[in-house]
Amino acid sequence: MRTDEQPVEPEALEEEPQRVAWSQLAQDMAVTLWPSFLAASVATMFFFAFFDPSLFGEGAVPPRWLTHRMAGYAVGFFFFWAICTLSSALTLYLVRTAAPSRKRSLR
Amino acid sequence: MNAPAAQDAPTSFYEAHKKIYPREIGGRFQRLRNLAVWVLLGLYYLLPWIPWDGRQSVLFDLPARKFYVFGLVFWPQDFFYLTWLLIILGLSLFFFTALAGRLWCGYACPQTVWTDVFMSIERRIEGDRNRRLKLDRGPWTGEKILRKGSKHVAWLLLALWTGFTFVGFFTPIQELATKVIGLSMGPWETFWVLFYSLATWGNAGFMREQVCKYMCPYARFQSAMFDRDTLIIAYDTGRGEPRGARARTADYRARGLGECIDCKACVQVCPTGIDIREGLQYECIACAACIDACDAVMDKMSYPRGLVRYTSQKGLEGGGSHVVRPRMIVYGGLLAALVVGFFVSISLRTPVGLDVMRDRNALYRKLPDGTIENVYLLRILNKDTAPHRYVLAAAGLPGIEIDTGIAEHRVGPGEVYSVAARVRVPAATAGGSHEIAIEVASSDAPGLKASRVARFLGP
Repeated sequence: MRTDEQPVEPEALEEEPQRVAWSQLAQDMAVTLWPSFLAASVATMFFFAFFDPSLFGEGAVPPRWLTHRMAGYAVGFFFFWAICTLSSALTLYLVRTAAPSRKRSLR
Repeated sequence: MNAPAAQDAPTSFYEAHKKIYPREIGGRFQRLRNLAVWVLLGLYYLLPWIPWDGRQSVLFDLPARKFYVFGLVFWPQDFFYLTWLLIILGLSLFFFTALAGRLWCGYACPQTVWTDVFMSIERRIEGDRNRRLKLDRGPWTGEKILRKGSKHVAWLLLALWTGFTFVGFFTPIQELATKVIGLSMGPWETFWVLFYSLATWGNAGFMREQVCKYMCPYARFQSAMFDRDTLIIAYDTGRGEPRGARARTADYRARGLGECIDCKACVQVCPTGIDIREGLQYECIACAACIDACDAVMDKMSYPRGLVRYTSQKGLEGGGSHVVRPRMIVYGGLLAALVVGFFVSISLRTPVGLDVMRDRNALYRKLPDGTIENVYLLRILNKDTAPHRYVLAAAGLPGIEIDTGIAEHRVGPGEVYSVAARVRVPAATAGGSHEIAIEVASSDAPGLKASRVARFLGP
């Protein structure tokens, strides 16, 4: 009978833990690395559907080890990823640096 | 201007992150989610091991540049189908989002599925929500080291298996397994297994809902696909407010209270740490854990279920929802047409390919019998799973003939067969440059043929 009088609590609430922030750097890395990972995956797929790494280097331009297919794919993917990351990072930087000045002019 | 303000501005893009300790919950939707996890992960881990026609059923054989999907073989030349498939997948996302909201996020997204598994491992080793909180706050005792250590060992083992399976979709998994056991993996295989293992461990063990909040583009643009009839998870404000604690037997209406007892169960179970009672938020992955939690509380209070429920904007306002509406008809019609077209096109595709390359050494040759000869390098690609015999022919100029030494060429399944072809045309008609057609046709399967245009050069 007594228990019925008490408010229903599904479980005693433990205090929430202290804040563990994802640092600014970690968040910046996430928003540049992840979209560029996706873009690089698509680019890799398209590129290697049309070009076979084992047929590269007829004129001996790329080093020989790059003409192994697995190496070609991997290096190609990371190359695209790096380029895309650069693009994402620049976008982030431009958005970041533009925002305060716009806020000030609106005030 | 003032430096501190400029420095502070960037940080305002993000809120500080609080580690979230979701409370486990049973219920209808949890069972549905568990089912989805079992089916999807079952498919993922087992599919590469299922044989088909004496080879791996699903194998995107990158080293050999061939994709096997059950009875079908795809080549780089079939790239078109991959693009088509991606369009179908994109449109499906539109269709299902408009229909039922973020079904993908709650039930099918790899991020959710693996996070679910990693959390259930954590729960088994570290205990329920309160014990995890205590453990994290407590000092590094032997027990804490043991529990945390064994959790990470279990996580890493699962992550390694996941990475291994992932690579097993791209190189034959049985050979890969043999190599792993014999410790003779190639550098790239090793690298990719570790890369994907670490990604799984990080994403499902640590980043979790942060991925949905900060990194997922779908979470940001899904609202564009929503309309007022879309299925969402919502708290019935009209029924629940004003919220407040009360005894089970209390006449809450007399006290001016709604049916929300403010127990915060819905907040505790939320894997993204939001309060559904504040309305629809983009962090909500529509996992329905809050529905299960609230239903259990409603049962305990002997109130009707559904204070938090699947409904639509219209439903919340007391109207009915329409499943069939212009948006759904357009998306559905397009999707159906693309899917049907995809399968029809795959079933009708000719499994033979032909590449024609001119011989680079000489433009043409005058033969003693007065004909002009051009030499081509032909590559016949048998995309079928059975061997075939092929006959070559040339057309486009009067008196044209093709000579490859033998009449019929036997090409094995999946084989790329190269042959030099001498094409001869009487000198009278061969002057200048002409377009000719080179054809390959199977002599044992009617309709199995392909044709390529080539350039024939004469004096």
